[in-house]
Amino acid sequence: MHIPDGYLSPATCATLYTGVVPFWWGALRRVRRGLHTQMVPLLSVFAAFSFIIMMFNLPLPGGTTGHAVGVGIAAIVLGPWASILAISVALMIQAIFFGDGGITAIGANCFNMGVIGSLVAYTTYELISRDAPVESPRRVWAAGLAGYLAINFSALAAAIELGIQPQLYRDATGAALYAPYPLSIAIPAMMAGHLTVAGIAETVVSAGVVAYLQKSQPSLLRGAAGGATTKPLWLVLMILAILTPFGVLAMGSAWGEWSAGDFLHPETRRQIAAASGGNELPAQVPAGLQRLARLWTAPLRYSSQVPAAIVGMVLIIGACWCIVLLARRIRVRRNMSFVERTLTSLMRASEYAASAEHVTESRGLFQKIDPRVKVAGLLLLIVAVAAARELRVIGGIFLFALAMALLSGISLRKLAAWVWMPVLLFTGLIAAPAILVTGPRSAAFLVGRAETAATLVGLLVLTTPWAWVLKSLRSLRCPAVFVAILGMTYRYIFEIMRTALDMLEARRSRTVGTLTPLESRRLAASTVGVLLNKSFQLSGDVHLAMQSRGFRGEIHVLSEFRARTVDWCWLGLFVALAGGALWWGS
Amino acid sequence: MVGIVSQAFVFEVRNVTYRYESVAALDGISLSIERGKRIALLGANGSGKSTLLRLLNALHFPESGGIAFNGQPLARDAFDQDAFAFAFRSRVGLVFQSPEVQLFNPTVFDEVAFAPLHLGWPRTRIEAAVAEILGKMEIAHLRDRPPHRLSGGEKKRVALASVLVMNPEVLLLDEPTAGLDPRSESQIIDMLMSWGGDGRTVITTTHDLGLVEDIADYCFVLQAGKVAAEGLPGEVLRDVALLERANLIHAHRHRHASGVIHSHPHTHPHRHD
Ligand SMILES: Nc1ncnc2c1ncn2[C@@H]1O[C@H](COP(=O)(O)OP(=O)(O)OP(=O)(O)O)[C@@H](O)[C@H]1O
Ligand SMILES: [Mg+2]
Repeated sequence: MHIPDGYLSPATCATLYTGVVPFWWGALRRVRRGLHTQMVPLLSVFAAFSFIIMMFNLPLPGGTTGHAVGVGIAAIVLGPWASILAISVALMIQAIFFGDGGITAIGANCFNMGVIGSLVAYTTYELISRDAPVESPRRVWAAGLAGYLAINFSALAAAIELGIQPQLYRDATGAALYAPYPLSIAIPAMMAGHLTVAGIAETVVSAGVVAYLQKSQPSLLRGAAGGATTKPLWLVLMILAILTPFGVLAMGSAWGEWSAGDFLHPETRRQIAAASGGNELPAQVPAGLQRLARLWTAPLRYSSQVPAAIVGMVLIIGACWCIVLLARRIRVRRNMSFVERTLTSLMRASEYAASAEHVTESRGLFQKIDPRVKVAGLLLLIVAVAAARELRVIGGIFLFALAMALLSGISLRKLAAWVWMPVLLFTGLIAAPAILVTGPRSAAFLVGRAETAATLVGLLVLTTPWAWVLKSLRSLRCPAVFVAILGMTYRYIFEIMRTALDMLEARRSRTVGTLTPLESRRLAASTVGVLLNKSFQLSGDVHLAMQSRGFRGEIHVLSEFRARTVDWCWLGLFVALAGGALWWGS
Repeated sequence: MVGIVSQAFVFEVRNVTYRYESVAALDGISLSIERGKRIALLGANGSGKSTLLRLLNALHFPESGGIAFNGQPLARDAFDQDAFAFAFRSRVGLVFQSPEVQLFNPTVFDEVAFAPLHLGWPRTRIEAAVAEILGKMEIAHLRDRPPHRLSGGEKKRVALASVLVMNPEVLLLDEPTAGLDPRSESQIIDMLMSWGGDGRTVITTTHDLGLVEDIADYCFVLQAGKVAAEGLPGEVLRDVALLERANLIHAHRHRHASGVIHSHPHTHPHRHD
């Protein structure tokens, strides 16, 4: 059920990533509440458990293999939210480090096994055993059924995702681009194994662990995970890890997890056909599949199982720690409203960029160039990026900008935090539909162009006092009104942001306790109203202050730059680069 | 209106009313300001001091009544002519109460150069004048900083410098020392006072009675948009009933060792240096 790279089209992958992210976010927020309890160690136990249980490959009829997931028991003990996190952590580590499941399909796999599995298992278990006492046998068979349904719904989801691919994505000759078998073949083939062997394995695991916990750790089954110790559970895990070599009860791969090579080898072709109701694979490896399958080569293999299991467990504990840190951050920041948070971080980033002090302090390569040359040169490069029809050319300019940034003492961290991440988030929103409509190539162009242009602008702003940028624009014959508006907008954004922050703070100091979302939305709305009023007032007053000092509707700017020979050389370099990029790129 | 002016007065304000939407800020105010004098405008919050200064600076125009500058009426249409507008703007400077309003340029240098640049001075003269005033105000080291990132006191100095650089013959100061530490306050007062003389007129608004005798030869007490009293600082400060009416002083209530509660007006006419 671990869908590899290349079996789902990029659009399907993107959709499923989008589908799973809200669940991750919600889960992180909920896990935060349990941080004072044993939730975190438990989370890693179940992530590790799921990781190891998935290594126990069981033979399925038709020569393929299948495995339990461990999602049933995770959802029962952790609740659905933490269970989503636990299973997702296991799946990510498998995909990234062991090549089990694709990188592009992490969203899909987490959605199928993590989200669907957890929700189905939890609902089933709760419905059947809600008011049963902890030691009741009803809980044991409720857990069994929960596991069975969970793994089968997960498998069904995976089968549907795989089965719709050939209907949706074909090349000009009508051959499938990604997963080759349609729904009519994928669903029976996938479900055959899960309704039987894998389903039974999951049932046994869920019911067995619940029965075990009823005797050893009944508090874990009471919902509140407090007070229970995880030590015996870890012990069980270690034993399981050591047993994993015997866990490889069957060789061969699971249905729908074949490598590109399996498509060509006659022996495997025969096996796959047998597992797929006698339907032969296409003679050629699907083009899209072949391309995507090369995307990621995992650094580790399951080949030596014990070390793999132990490495996996170490990775899982690390990952769970990261989750704790993440959840803590969410908790700390919760005291501020979303509006405040956004304002504060915007303020910090833009004030930093605006301050001439830090720029003049750090003497780098780019700081020394005449600002007019910088503005003109970087504008030329941006034009070249916008016009480029070759990803290589865009990449080249990006590398140039990156090198310049490093030589100018701008840290990568700063660039990432203030330029790349925001742009990626923003263009990601635009690029996601673009992938659906025009394919990944145009999305790559969009993101590449946006990131490169933003890096160039960031390079300019981070090495040049804002005032000089404005002056340079002016001395490059930009209309004065435009420059003045740009400058004042920028300046008054601070004023308004600061006022907004002050107002929010003043209000918060007058309100006791935390606000409900409704209250804080109301507060934000009225604050925005007052703020708008204030900014009108401010701009009116500023206009008066300008008039008072002789402003008559036209802005004048004093420019005081003097270009040296070096600056002319830089200008030449920029022109040559941009010219070259335009020539090569189009 | 125009007929009654005399060249001894820089400003003559006659029966001026001005309202913001529904609030009457000035309510039939009349006063005359003598050339070369240092004038204090006293008044509680909301008494109309800032509004009056804006009218004197021809940023707003009276709803009724009239204002004359050196005998010439300040009317809206007079400012349509560049020559008159530039002449007036370079002769009358206003430092706003809130420096936030006044500082809108990207650097301190540009801020201070704004007025001369827009009044059409030649470039070399601008640079010399800016350098001189920055030195005088002790802010030369802030030259390339963005004004909105300075401290409150530094902002105030930049705001002052941006007006003083024009060397105006009438200086309108709206609470120039509010928010300054004691050292800066006395420094700035000394500066501004040495600025007066040479036929220059300085009009300062304040509600700090302790300052009045230092900054003014003559003062007006404003109350609800009207002049409630005027006179020499010494006389005005002694008129406790007037000051109390104008909300410039409050009863100072304290308990003596004998246990008697004693109440008298808190005038605080002395400055502690
Ligand atoms: N922009 C405005 N819109 C509406 N009303 C205003 C505005 N500015 C001032 N007012 C009102 O006009 C009246 C006079 O205000 P003004 O600012 O002239 O007082 P002030 O004497 O300078 O007070 P302060 O000592 O607090 O600075 C006040 O009642 C005030 O509420
Ligand atoms: Mg005022």
